[in-house]
Amino acid sequence: MSGLQQYGILFGLTLGTLGFVLSLYALARAIGRSRAEAGKDVPATAGQLSRDPVWVRYNARYTGYALLFLAFDMEMAFMYPWSVVYREEGLVALLDMGVFLAILFLGLLYGWSQGVFRRQ
Amino acid sequence: MSAVLLILALTVGVYAVAVLEDWASHNRLRLLGPVISTLALLGQESVLHRKNDRLFFETAPILLLVGALLSLAIIPLAPGLIVTDLATGALFFNAALAYVLVALIMAGWGPDGAYGMIGGWRFLGQLIAYAMLVVMPITTVAMRAESLSTITIVESQAQLWNIVYQPLGFVLFAIAGMAMAFVPPFDLPNAEGELAGGVEAEYTGVRRMVFRLGRMVLILSVASATTVFYLGGWLGPWLPDWAWSAIKILAVTALMLAGGRMLPRVREGTLLAWAWKLGIPLALVNIFLVGVLVLVVPL
Repeated sequence: MSGLQQYGILFGLTLGTLGFVLSLYALARAIGRSRAEAGKDVPATAGQLSRDPVWVRYNARYTGYALLFLAFDMEMAFMYPWSVVYREEGLVALLDMGVFLAILFLGLLYGWSQGVFRRQ
Repeated sequence: MSAVLLILALTVGVYAVAVLEDWASHNRLRLLGPVISTLALLGQESVLHRKNDRLFFETAPILLLVGALLSLAIIPLAPGLIVTDLATGALFFNAALAYVLVALIMAGWGPDGAYGMIGGWRFLGQLIAYAMLVVMPITTVAMRAESLSTITIVESQAQLWNIVYQPLGFVLFAIAGMAMAFVPPFDLPNAEGELAGGVEAEYTGVRRMVFRLGRMVLILSVASATTVFYLGGWLGPWLPDWAWSAIKILAVTALMLAGGRMLPRVREGTLLAWAWKLGIPLALVNIFLVGVLVLVVPL
């Protein structure tokens, strides 16, 4: 099977799932509709009315981790093709990627020493 | 023919996961439980708030279900019993499950409810903790199989399963997989006790049903991936191929759900600290160890 056909199947799977969900919605709609009541206009938040708006700036306390994550995630883009040809290339591949990963790991240690892993 | 079999397998698998989750949470084995919940959720009204982000609110459950189903598409249950044998299967698994994060943040943002929003942002932190620990062990599996195709990965384990060949990778992948499927010790986005359901809190009726269904498929997908990457997929003596797949997948699901139930919920900061101070160095060690092992002991 060609690559295009395979992605065609996956696209069909997506459309099929969408159709399944929509038919479920239609079934639920056929059983009954939601009655308009004032209490349903606001988020329930466990039985209490929500006091404050929540679409505000959220203090993400893991910004240091997030920066390191970016570096590591980029590195993974190189790891996958490397891992497939690893056995063919042998020791050269191990040394190449070893140097690369060692530098990344040093980066992690440096970040650690600079307090990246503290909650900001 | 195989399409019918695959849909049947998916239905039975999701049903079994639902029963197992019920058993793990309530300590009761109710075989009809999922049917009853389905009927109840179908009859329940699906409330839509006045000030919501309609697009996000509606997309989130569908996206979760679609992402989880797409990730299942590359899982072989037996030789030939697979939706698509992509050449980049293992990578596609990651790509499809990246949408779990998007879906959960949409679910948190959509209804403008405080608990949902906190759950969604928390899961972003959780992603930063687990994502590298999912992808790094998969690379070592691919190193041994010399391919990203899941069928080749299973065949590469004919002599020795990966759980024996690279046990460290298995432990990291299983724990990170549990965090990805947010099963109990890592159920930060939908923590029942502290967030009243978190991202699921504002979903009712049929929308909640689709959300829960997506979650079940996600758990099934993570368990299947653990089986394919580390437990030799369909390989095993005496029984037919598909039976081995089913037994292994359900056993992994049961272990994940039951084991996680015994542990206290991990805090987001603690999870991040453990993942980056211990998990990532261990994953790098794993890559190096397997790298040497693949060259020295070519099994």
